[in-house]
Order: sequence, then C-alpha cells, then structure tokens
Amino acid sequence: MTDTKTMKTAAPKKKRRRVSLDSKKTGAGWLFVLPFVIGFVCIYLPVIINSLRYSFSEIRNVAGSGFETTFVGWDNYSYALMENPDYVEKLLESLQTIAFQIPAIVIFSLFIAIILNQKMIGRAAFRAIFFIPVIMSTGLIDEIAQNSSMQQYMDPTGMIQTGTEAGEEAAKEAEAGNQIVSAFEVAKLFENMAVGTSLVKYVVEMVNNIFDIVNRSGVQMLIFLAGLQSVSPAIYEPCSIDGASPWETLWKITLPMVSPMILVNAVYTVIDSFTAQDNVVMTFIKDCYEGKNGITSGKERSSAMAWIYFMIVAVVIGLVALILKKFVFYQRKE
Amino acid sequence: MNTNPTIKHESKNRIRVDFERTPLLERLKAKFINGAFLVNVIWFLFRFLLLLGVSYVILYPFYAKIAGSFMSPQDFVDVTVRLIPKYPTLDQYKAIIADNGYFQALFNTFTLAGSCAVIQTFICSLIGYGLAKFKFKGNGIVFLLVIFTMLIPHSTLQYALFMEFRYFDIFGIVELIRGEGINLLNSYWPLLIMSLTGLGFKNGLYVFLLRQFYKGIPDELEESAYLDGSGTFRTFVQIILPLSIPMLITVFMFSFSWQWTDNFYTELFFIADSGPKLMPEIVKVPRSLDVNFAGGTLYSSAIQNTCGLMIILPLIVIYLFAQRYIMEGIERSGITG
Repeated sequence: MTDTKTMKTAAPKKKRRRVSLDSKKTGAGWLFVLPFVIGFVCIYLPVIINSLRYSFSEIRNVAGSGFETTFVGWDNYSYALMENPDYVEKLLESLQTIAFQIPAIVIFSLFIAIILNQKMIGRAAFRAIFFIPVIMSTGLIDEIAQNSSMQQYMDPTGMIQTGTEAGEEAAKEAEAGNQIVSAFEVAKLFENMAVGTSLVKYVVEMVNNIFDIVNRSGVQMLIFLAGLQSVSPAIYEPCSIDGASPWETLWKITLPMVSPMILVNAVYTVIDSFTAQDNVVMTFIKDCYEGKNGITSGKERSSAMAWIYFMIVAVVIGLVALILKKFVFYQRKE
Repeated sequence: MNTNPTIKHESKNRIRVDFERTPLLERLKAKFINGAFLVNVIWFLFRFLLLLGVSYVILYPFYAKIAGSFMSPQDFVDVTVRLIPKYPTLDQYKAIIADNGYFQALFNTFTLAGSCAVIQTFICSLIGYGLAKFKFKGNGIVFLLVIFTMLIPHSTLQYALFMEFRYFDIFGIVELIRGEGINLLNSYWPLLIMSLTGLGFKNGLYVFLLRQFYKGIPDELEESAYLDGSGTFRTFVQIILPLSIPMLITVFMFSFSWQWTDNFYTELFFIADSGPKLMPEIVKVPRSLDVNFAGGTLYSSAIQNTCGLMIILPLIVIYLFAQRYIMEGIERSGITG
C-alpha cells in the first residue's frame, strides 16, 4: 500500500534532467576521492611548497609575530653538500646499504613466502610469527631497540666500570644476534664452488644481518603471499602432469607469475628502507632538525638536506623500476 | 610373483584368498629408500629448520626483553644470570606504572590511535574504491599523487608540517578573522585532520592495497545494485564494505599499530611534558629505580625495553585476534602489479 502511494507522489516529480550512468559515475568517482584531493590541495601542497621555500631561506624567530624568512638561494643546499662534513658520507653509506639490502630482502621474502605458501605442519603458527615484525618493530620500539644496543656499543666506559664479566656479558649479548656465522665458515662452504670472494663476503654480511632483513621483509612477504595465492592452480596442474619437477615449476611458472610483485616489492623496499626511521640519513636529518648530537644547523638546513635526499630516492626508484620492468611478465595484456 | 592365488577359505558369500605378498621389509624398502622420498625428507627437514631458525631470530629479542623485564638489580650484577632471572620481581613494571603515568598514556594513545585508525580505514577505503571502480578524468593523476605522498620521506616535510599546524590556516581565511592561524599543536587535531584527508602515516600504502583489492571485485555486483536503484554511496556501504571486511581489518590493524608505536608525528605535534601524555613519553627510567650501581647501564636499557614491552602489550593482544584476518585479507586482495 505504502509503496504504491509513494510511487504516485513520486511520479510527477520525475522531471529532472537525464544524466547518463557514465557521467553519474564520473561525478561519484570524484566524490569518493574528494577527501584526498581536498587534503592534498589544502594541506599537503602548501606543506610541500613551504618545505621547498624553507630549504631556500633562512628562518629567524621574531618575538611576537612568530617567524621571519629571508631568501638565501642555494645556501642551504651548498652547505649540506659542501660544508657539512658528514652529510655526503652518510648519503653514500645509506645508498650502499640499500644497494646491498634490496636484493637480499626481495629474495628472502620471496623464498619465505613460497615456503609459507606450501601445505605443512604448523603453517598457521609460522605465519603468525613471521608477521610479528610488521606490527611490532616499528617507530618507537625500533628506537628503543636502537638506543639500548647503541648504549651497549657506544658506552665502553660503562662496561669497564661494571667489571669485565658484566661487560663481557653485554658484549656477548649484543653480539648474539649479529655474529651468526663467520666469513671463514662460509668460505669453507664455498671452497669447492667457483665463486668469488665478493660473493662470499656478501652472503656473510647478509647472514649476519638476518635479524634486520627478517624485520624488514614483513610487508613484502605479505605482498608475495598474496601474489602467490592469486596464481591459478590450473597452471600448475598440467605442468605436473607433463612431468615438470618442482624446481622447473618454480623457475618457469612461479617466478614469471609473481614478477609484477617483484617489481612492486623492490620499489616498496627502496621506499621503506629510505624512509625508515633508523636509516642513517633520516636520523642525521632528524638530529639536524633538533640540533642534537653536536650538529649545529637549523631546521631550514634539515629541509634542504631532506629535499636532496628525496631527489636521490626518486632517482633510485626510477632506476630500479626501469631495470626490473624489463623482466616483468604480465599475464593479461591490456 | 605368484599369478594364481591360493584359496584359503570359501563360504557361501565370502572368499578369502591368500596372495603371496611381498614381505613387509621389502615393501618398506621400496617405499622409503628411493630418491623421491629422500628428497622429500630432506626438503621437509630443511624447510622446518629454516622456519624454526628464522622464528628464533624473530622471537629471541622478545624473549630476552621479557626475561630482562622481570630481573631485579641483583641479576644484572650476577654473572651467572643469563636469560632466566634468579631473583624475579615486578619492580620494573610497578615503577613504570606508578612513576611514568603508564595508564594515562595508554588511555590517551588508545583514543588517538583508535580514532585515527577508524578514520584512516574508512577514508582510505573510500579513496581506494573511487580509484579502483570509477573511470573519471584525473583518476591516474590522483593515483600518482597518492603514490607521491608515499614516496616523500616524512622528514622532508617535518618543519613545514610543524609550521602548518602551528599556524593552521586554510587559504588565509582564519588569518583574516583572527589575525593569526590557530595553534593546533598539543592536540589530536593535526593527526585527525591528516587522517581525514588520507595523508596520515603510510596511508598511501593502504590506499594502494585497497585499490588493488577493489579492482578484484567483479563489476557485476555493483551493476546489479545500481539496477535495483541503489546509489553509488549506498552500494559502497551496504555491498562493498561488508565484502571487504578482512581487508579492512588488515588496514585497521596496520594503521592502529603503526599509529600506536609512531614517534615521528607524536614527537612533532606534541611538545613533551605539556600536552596529553602519549606513549613516547613513558620511555624513560622511572624515578624510583636506582641505576647507579655496577650493572646500571644494562639495567637502564632493560628498563627501557620493559617500557617497550608494555607499549606493545595491547598490540600483541590485538594482533593475536586479528592475524587470521590479516592473512585472509591479504590472500584475497590478489594484488597484481
């Protein structure tokens, strides 16, 4: 009853302009992304512009009316690159570690994701354990861990005071996570294979950094797992019928199918390790911002440094994406 | 092989035949001593050991921290004490709760992280849905901008962000009225505003994940809803959101815990000792604990770790509940390049 009534009253009102579904959807699309667009235009854009402006100027606090900026050109940049003794060094150091770590993290997370994707005893438990670092080792907790280990490393006088035993214990504890294998052992392992010493060194370094790598590969593992899950079993089946071994299947099917994910993960790893808070450059910029650790420079200089850093990050990401794009295989050609 | 089996016993409707079977030992040999089985066993062992080892690497620091948190000052002087405290006490916990204002910080952080996470999850799903399902002009550009916000290291914007919220203003409107922007520092507003506009911590990643997820949902679902006269927003709330609950829980989990342990934004927007007490402020050695003794350095770092443990304790509880959904959400997202 009520339905017919409302229909009757609604019928004469129907005189509005016809809007096609497509254009309606276009409007709705804008409506959905509106919060972001507003935020970007009203907050993010001014912030970016201001940050750029600060990096080109000198800031002085003025009593009463807040602050005053004067344009100084490329001063802050030249300070960061030429005068500051540590900045360039830290940049290079950071680039080097990242160049080492990207392949390690991507390969490790892919490997673990493939294993965790297989059926076996205790899979759920292992999965739960492996994603603990994603949630737990971030921000504050990371900083605490860094501080406490730094205390142990950088405070040798304290250890001498506490007597050799306690010092030894601390050193051992600090080392427990770090020295898992020695180069010598790995060298013995690789003795009969014809590999260079640089590779041995690399492997040793990675194994000793396993804690770091495990901690950083959580999200990548998730992404790889998602990718592996989306590979249709219909591809594996004919393969096993044709007698392909798991090894061949891995190289001929799994890897090409997850190769888009490898690209995503490599880029994500670059972003993540460049913007991680324990990154040397990030901590350096932070110290510079706060004027801590004996670095005498101001907030505008930290802005300049951060912009140089961002440019480098962008270039590295572009390079990684360019290189990996050649190897990516897309199943759907659109 | 015996081809004709001997009949052992025959009745009206049953017959027992005795085959000459291969002896048990040989059968076992054939089954277990061959290449394929060996490879399987080795692979199984290798895999198990590897996973166990990596789990150890992940869990060991937690265990060390937990053990350290129960230790009393004597344990740090005693050389024989390694990972099991000899004189276990709850002193550290008590002192942190009493002196550092743990519960106050817990409550404040819970309010902040909870509201931020709810807002971020909703806003990011809106943005992700808009980017995934609507082909409008500028879709690509908006997506690129989202990625761009993810790319910029947040220290690049540190000072500018601080200034933005110290003198908060939209196109100079506030300045016209009040003469100066509003000071939003030491309040939840900066983080809430950033969450509301999808600019919060790692929101680019959430938008990306959700966009990929929504792309995987077949269009027919919404089309049939449209045909039945449902509007776009209603379709989104009533049909799409319930479908994506695992993914939403995943994103909520990420944003809650990353906001919970975040120290970059909290230290930027909250000036220590003057605003509401948040988690970063409780990380210090409590007044009532004395660290001026032989093992003092170790003790104070153990105390700091205890603070860390107490900070993540609520997260662990939430994680145990949500980790099933995380796997489900990610598995269903079907991310492709």
